[in-house]
Amino acid sequence: MELGTPLEQIVTVDETDTGVPDAGTFSLRGAWRVLISSWSGRVGLLMFAIMIGISIYVLTTYPSDFGSQLWSSPKDWADNPKTAAPKWTALWDENAVETQTGTLHEPATTGERGPAAVYDYDWPIAQTSGAFPTFLSTTIEGVRFNGRAPVIVVTLLRPDGGEIRLANLAVPAARTGEDAPVERYFDTPERILLTQSDTAQQSIQAWFDQTYPGDRDTPVTIADLNKALFGIPTGTGFSALQGDYTLRVQMLAADPDDSLQAVSNVYGGNVYGWMGTDSLGRNLWQGLLYGFPIALLIATVTAILATVLGASLGILSGYTGGLTDSVIQRAADIVSNVPILPLLIFLVFIIGPNLSVILLVLVAFSWPGLTILVRSMVLSLRSGQLVEAAQAMGASRWRIMSRHVFPQVAPFIVAQMIFAAPAAILAEASLSFLGLGDPSIPTWGQMLESGFRTGALYVGYWWWVIPPGVLIIVTALAFTLLALAMEQVVDPRLRDQR
Amino acid sequence: MNIARKLGLRALTLFGVLVAVLVLLVVSLGATGYSDKLLSAQLNEELRGFRQAQAETIRDPAQLEEAVAQRQTELEAFYGLDESWWSRMPSQIWNVLTLDLGDARSLRTADGSSKISDIVLERLPYTMLLLTTASVITAIIGLIVGVRMATRVGSKLDRGVAYFAAISFAVPAWWLGILFILIFAFRLELLPAGGMYGVPPPEDRFDRWLDLAKHAILPVSTLVLVSVGPYIYSVRTMTVTTAMEDHVQLARAKGLSEGYINRRHILRVAAAPIVTGLILGLAGSLGGSILTETVFNWRGMGRLYYDAIVGTPDEGVIVALTFLFTLIYLLARFLLDILYVVLDPRVRY
Repeated sequence: MELGTPLEQIVTVDETDTGVPDAGTFSLRGAWRVLISSWSGRVGLLMFAIMIGISIYVLTTYPSDFGSQLWSSPKDWADNPKTAAPKWTALWDENAVETQTGTLHEPATTGERGPAAVYDYDWPIAQTSGAFPTFLSTTIEGVRFNGRAPVIVVTLLRPDGGEIRLANLAVPAARTGEDAPVERYFDTPERILLTQSDTAQQSIQAWFDQTYPGDRDTPVTIADLNKALFGIPTGTGFSALQGDYTLRVQMLAADPDDSLQAVSNVYGGNVYGWMGTDSLGRNLWQGLLYGFPIALLIATVTAILATVLGASLGILSGYTGGLTDSVIQRAADIVSNVPILPLLIFLVFIIGPNLSVILLVLVAFSWPGLTILVRSMVLSLRSGQLVEAAQAMGASRWRIMSRHVFPQVAPFIVAQMIFAAPAAILAEASLSFLGLGDPSIPTWGQMLESGFRTGALYVGYWWWVIPPGVLIIVTALAFTLLALAMEQVVDPRLRDQR
Repeated sequence: MNIARKLGLRALTLFGVLVAVLVLLVVSLGATGYSDKLLSAQLNEELRGFRQAQAETIRDPAQLEEAVAQRQTELEAFYGLDESWWSRMPSQIWNVLTLDLGDARSLRTADGSSKISDIVLERLPYTMLLLTTASVITAIIGLIVGVRMATRVGSKLDRGVAYFAAISFAVPAWWLGILFILIFAFRLELLPAGGMYGVPPPEDRFDRWLDLAKHAILPVSTLVLVSVGPYIYSVRTMTVTTAMEDHVQLARAKGLSEGYINRRHILRVAAAPIVTGLILGLAGSLGGSILTETVFNWRGMGRLYYDAIVGTPDEGVIVALTFLFTLIYLLARFLLDILYVVLDPRVRY
């Protein structure tokens, strides 16, 4: 391409809008018209708008410590089923079991047993399919008592009349020096995984021995407790017992004023949310959404910094000439001949996996292309009439560079800037995939890495590894399309080729 | 003898790159304190051996400690640990150049050697195998399809490949590998999901090669698929540009046959820029191979990177790998440069 073409010929100038065009005028309206007239421009802008919309949603609704705290704390995801497929797989998978959750604040019934009060928190569970839940858990939150510590009893009422004792929880009594009312489980609620409980195992075994004697060859183990509790024994296994169950959490309190704040129950399925969960039970949908602002941040910061660096060095090199020019050109020669990924891995490994380090290293290696391009444009501009006239009027070097040279190359620089963005996204994803991602900021690459490292790939957890990759590609593609459309804005000869 | 001068200059630039990378490696190791750590680990290892050997002859514990302490000062002077890291730079650059980086923490070769140079060199042929196979296939497909596309610019095939090139630019090689494993290894169970040989590896030599080839199908296709799109497109563009030049018009006016024009007037001229396209794609496929090897558990240098990063990180191995990858890259570039000079007579005069 002829890089020295004056800008008046390159950029569509709206005569009625700007009056007499001079070299520095860049008609935004004209550029916009060209941008949206091309297929790639429209699609790119649409994708970009959606990504920005999602990013704004994430930034306004997610807690600020989502990345550093929530995402990496297994405790907060304990109540989700592990490696559950997305909810919509239930459309074709008849073995899909939806997760049911319920939080009870008020007891269903209040009874009295002698001087003690009995509070029943009843939670109905409908077992409608032939598939079993993956786990059953209850979480007790906020017990307040005055005298003797209350006892909490968890029972499962089965449709076949069985009352299976699942767990007994003796709330720790007041320590010496602790005054009434004593508070327990306020800061850290007590979570009981009922399908891992010895009590449950013994009582379901007793119920089977009494009701279905001889139907089962081997004793119930903890490993298939989830099936035993919601099924009837059949020789070697279990078949699901459909019907209405009730999970009853009972607080036996010595004092009627004793209280319990909330009981949260989970009937764990094997499908969850829009995008399923990973091996820690993390909701992948949330993680995927969180990746949008991060990807945009990585792309824009790297692209802007690399472009500013590359363009300033290019203008400096082209306009000053001499020794400065030689030094910059030799440096560009060397940096552009370096294999980037191995050095990126090395530097991030040595300096530490920190997002700002990753961005800086990316910037440090991505300027030479633009420097060489801008220099060659500036070289031909330098001998142009505009610069000559400015020199004749006694303008300083700095003034000529910033006021007369820069505006003419600016549109090209913008197009190149957008081209730099997808490379940054892909590089960050590659680093994350090798385990060099910033641990405090979950990105799509890191989600893929955890899926790969835990072997999700080899057991077919596709929902864990496919969506992050698709989002990386879509984001990189959006920037590429936008850059292609921008090229048409700055180089009219490309407009016929869309 | 202009070729020699041209190539000499080129070799000088690439050598400059190598030196720059080496300095970067050593400076960042020194400035972050890693070099001290690496050297003292090596020193402590030797000291332990020394103590054990001396303990058999020297019975008095105080005397033993004295001997060990003296040995430690000697070793510190030998390794330059008593000086600052920048005064050690020349010797360290030499160490990296000769891959003399001591022992790996937990990685071993097949025969159990823990020397970093042994480990890295054992993996080198496998990376070269993967990289060259993929590059050759990409070049062949790119040339055939690209030239064919150039003869029908604007056709459906032309547009299709243009979109394909844009998408394959945005697809990370490793993710495509993951997709391939899910489809071909997990769903269809056609090909192995990873590794280089089956378990147990076949005894017969020929069967071993066949087994290796079978395991290479997925990684090679991954590498080819992500790099072939842009390459086809660049071949096509180069050929189209050349086909519009005046000398081709003249050849047509002379009534030469299309086949002859294609071979002698278009391809011969476009050959050099097409090689440039291959040079530019090289960095991409090198990076792609690191990640592809990781995904497919292909036991080359790329997978070694991953093994050295996860678990207990091993700095020495990572330094050696970074250096070797740079070296391979520069050598490959130089080879392509030679090819470029051979193909483009204009460079010679």
